[in-house]
Amino acid sequence: MSGTTMIEINNLHKSFGSLEVLKGIDLTLEKGKVLAIIGPSGSGKTTLLRCFNLLEVPDQGMMKIGEMSLQFQQGNGIRTADTLALRKRTGMVFQSFNLFPHMTAIQNIMEAQVTVQGKSKAAARSRAAELLGKVGLGDKADAYPHQLSGGQQQRIAIARAMALDPDVLLFDEPTSALDPELVGDVLKVIRQLAAEGMTMVIVTHEMRFAENVADHIVMMDGGVIVESGPPEQVIGNPRSPRAIQFLNRVTNYDVT
Amino acid sequence: MSERQIDILLDSLLPLLKAGVAFTIPLTLVSFALGMIVAVLTALARLSSIWPLRLVAGFYVWVIRGTPLLLQLFIIFYGLTYVGIILSSFTAATIGFTLSVGAYGSEIVRGSIQSIQKGQWEAAASLGMTRGQALRRIIIPQAARVSVPPLGNSFISLLKDTSLAGSIMYLEMFRVSQQIVATTYEPLLVYSAAGVIYLLFCTVLTWLQSILEKRLARYSAS
Repeated sequence: MSGTTMIEINNLHKSFGSLEVLKGIDLTLEKGKVLAIIGPSGSGKTTLLRCFNLLEVPDQGMMKIGEMSLQFQQGNGIRTADTLALRKRTGMVFQSFNLFPHMTAIQNIMEAQVTVQGKSKAAARSRAAELLGKVGLGDKADAYPHQLSGGQQQRIAIARAMALDPDVLLFDEPTSALDPELVGDVLKVIRQLAAEGMTMVIVTHEMRFAENVADHIVMMDGGVIVESGPPEQVIGNPRSPRAIQFLNRVTNYDVT
Repeated sequence: MSERQIDILLDSLLPLLKAGVAFTIPLTLVSFALGMIVAVLTALARLSSIWPLRLVAGFYVWVIRGTPLLLQLFIIFYGLTYVGIILSSFTAATIGFTLSVGAYGSEIVRGSIQSIQKGQWEAAASLGMTRGQALRRIIIPQAARVSVPPLGNSFISLLKDTSLAGSIMYLEMFRVSQQIVATTYEPLLVYSAAGVIYLLFCTVLTWLQSILEKRLARYSAS
């Protein structure tokens, strides 16, 4: 109970048309901790993650990231300046990488530093080179995304998301689009970031990884959190029937 | 071919080429360059969240695409004199072709922008880019590549369509060939010669287009 709170959300609601995807989510995460969000598809976990950087704007509730606090009310938009400010403090890694295909690896990592932060190209390049080294791809600076494997692309995407020195990194199923043999390299990078004290929220299907790397796990189903706590409790000893059912299904699937 | 015909052919080649280089090509280049600016602005207006912009842009595209180009040129050159606007044939032709290229081109540009995956917008947004920054740095460069083949088509069409400007007194290649036919009575010969020159111009353009496509394709696997 000692650390400072990095993320705090209260009673968050989001609907798409008449479909209510988030039905009142409460969550807190301390600085330097890793939160994994698990649950069946359609449970709202990706939507929740996308609310953290306002790719989806919640209809109702409160969200606090770092010192920035936002109130949501239906019909009241969020000011563009607030949206941009929030996005500078968060980095996102997508399931399908979404690297900029017309730029080389290093240009992908430099882009926001120059365009958004107004850094000089030289400063952006040296930071980008440092990040490339960190994700183990120092020799791929001048490769275009199509020349790289999925695992390499995803590691470039992680470096790109870190380039603005965000307070929080958001991962949307970062290994779901990868061939099984490439998953390990990406997870290794995420693990290393966790060890360095990066605050992260990870939506994932990799149960074992979630169990290993996360400090806290929430399981969602039908737009609500059905189970929340440390990994050994949520995965090792779940209490809600829906959580037990889901975990049985994924663990069975893992075995066969 | 008689000796007389060979003389006529040799005598007409130089004036035809001159008309092509001094009139047809400048009109094509100026109209296309201005038309591209109009096309991009119109496409952005049609994709805008501001409805009056969408309405105006949609109306413009609807009118230009729904009426014959020749009629548009006649309205601009002859029609406008009745409200006191007197334009040179070059100015009138440039306006007419610019509006035409702008309208058709805007649909190509709009389609190209919309063909870029939503994930590219989201990646740009997640890095804190504004919509304008995302468009300029991420979306337009990728859309440009998609739009080169269809815009190359428009460019080639435009080069040939400039022959319509002859009917508003612009001395481009086709009008010059008509004048030569009027004095020599050799329509087959002279028009064929003009056709060969058009073909030559278009071949060069097609070649330039393929170079541009290769340059823009350097980052893609295919």
